[in-house]
Amino acid sequence: MAATAEVEVRDVRKIYRRDAEEILVLDGLTLDVPKGEFVALMGPSGSGKTTLLNLIAGIDRPTAGAVIVGGTDVTTLGEGELARWRSRHVGFIFQFYNLIPVLTALENVELPLLLQPFSRSERRDRALTALEIVGLSDRSKHYPRQLSGGQEQRVAIARAIVTDPTVLVADEPTGDLDSKSAEEVLHLMESLNREFEKTIVMVTHDPRAAAVAHTRYHLEKGRLVD
Amino acid sequence: MRFFPYILKHLRHNGFRTALTVLAMALCIFLFCVLETAIDAINASTESASDKRLITRHAVSLVFNLPIYYGPRLASVPGVRRVAGANWFGGIYQDRKNFFPNFAIDAEPYLAIYPEYILPPDQKEAFLRDPRGCIVGRETADRFGWKVGDVFQMESTIPPYRVGRPFEFVIRGIYDSDAARYPGTNLQQVFFHFRYLYESTGRRIGKGSFVLEIDDPGQAGAVSRAVDGLFENSSSQTRTETEAAFRASFIALIGNISLLLRVIGLATTFTILLVTANTMSMAVRERRKEIATLKTLGFTSGHVMGLVLGEAVILGVLGGGLGLLFGDRFIHVLPKIPMVGDIFRGVADRGLSPELGATAFGLAVALGTAAGFLPALLAYRERITTALRQL
Repeated sequence: MAATAEVEVRDVRKIYRRDAEEILVLDGLTLDVPKGEFVALMGPSGSGKTTLLNLIAGIDRPTAGAVIVGGTDVTTLGEGELARWRSRHVGFIFQFYNLIPVLTALENVELPLLLQPFSRSERRDRALTALEIVGLSDRSKHYPRQLSGGQEQRVAIARAIVTDPTVLVADEPTGDLDSKSAEEVLHLMESLNREFEKTIVMVTHDPRAAAVAHTRYHLEKGRLVD
Repeated sequence: MRFFPYILKHLRHNGFRTALTVLAMALCIFLFCVLETAIDAINASTESASDKRLITRHAVSLVFNLPIYYGPRLASVPGVRRVAGANWFGGIYQDRKNFFPNFAIDAEPYLAIYPEYILPPDQKEAFLRDPRGCIVGRETADRFGWKVGDVFQMESTIPPYRVGRPFEFVIRGIYDSDAARYPGTNLQQVFFHFRYLYESTGRRIGKGSFVLEIDDPGQAGAVSRAVDGLFENSSSQTRTETEAAFRASFIALIGNISLLLRVIGLATTFTILLVTANTMSMAVRERRKEIATLKTLGFTSGHVMGLVLGEAVILGVLGGGLGLLFGDRFIHVLPKIPMVGDIFRGVADRGLSPELGATAFGLAVALGTAAGFLPALLAYRERITTALRQL
């Protein structure tokens, strides 16, 4: 495993404001995720693990501190730059898959490639390759409603890896799956990490999911504990 | 363009809602085209009137006739070249749905005053010679398959002209017109001799109106005043005005049509704007998770806004196209509608004008854009974490 930190979280604080009330979600958190690492973030609800994941994925901004991913301090990027950065460097896996219902599996996987300078045939080839990696090339023309939960999540994983991102972030990727499907998805993520050296940061409540990761961090009240 | 299939997929997915919205938009554009054409037709009907013709009628109402002897006195007014009487006969041929305008006229001067009614010389001669003869516009002749020499009957709906039996007419001529020289000429009318009506009704009727041909259109005002002054102290005072003004006042009998039509058009447009905006808002509200997902994948707020606006514009384009198609078809049919079709002659014969078509299409696109703007702005402002947390 490489020693270089792919993800550096430096003294990050995150405060949400609800009316006059301030809620401290992350309290000076620092974390390094080396390149090619598979990290699980665990902790009780409200501990700040999803918030931390969102900061690493560049879909939220810290109140203070820095988040450096692949050498880029994402906290310094403007909205448009951040979106473009996400399209190239982050693959996001949601708990509820978040596939677009009107698009086929192939079109869903192709979606992030619309933002890249690829021709139509290049986009199609890459999307098919990603579907092959997750073992669903035979379901390319199926719509999400025609797929099982596990298959939907694998399509979502294909969509996350199709741009060959710097880091894969997964928010409870097995949270909505039965145990067999969850096992398949975890196996897939493990092989992505092992064979393609993808850096993965995963939030999970599931101890079996966490067991697949190389490193497990526990958060409580916005801080890392042992 | 690479996002176009994505937009279409969404529109197809909610096919029923899309179809209803497109139909609503099409209805709006259809009404806009038809109403604007109606306004054009109304304006054109006054603009196409000859400025060399004046109409003299009873000052109180068109319902009252003028004495026949007014004719020679009108002809003696300086500046008046010709005078011809014309009575609206209100005749029905077999059934009310067979409506066409029909007039009892002083044939010789009337045809001289209206050169737009073009008759072959032998037919004109035959018409002038036959007291029961009539001439028929080409469209009406075609409509009923009439030819020269045919005989038909009409019964009037106007009490003084109802004599207990139908009037019988012999078709002596079928008139045409030169569309280039005289655009909008009515080819549905039937003209017959006033003499026939007068004799048949026991010589008790007067003239519905007089058409005056004047020497100098610039003197129309002076001639009108002179004519009306002539009968100022009589029991049947007159009102004389240009043919254009006469037509305008005739149309005004049923109110300010142009304003009414514009108000209807505006109300419809505004309603459709609200309907489309509501549809788009619903679509965006239903897709908050999807919008958040797109943004997570790297779509910028501008991209997302563009996708929503794109959908709205496509709805506008589809609705506009459909509305134009229906509008054009309907405008072609307008002149054939009994009673009111006459107003649309000339303007509607050509169908939807390219200028109006372009304006209507622009309106459809603008409506779509306006309707989609607020939902698109909501999509633009949607924060990823907020949307994902709430769903």
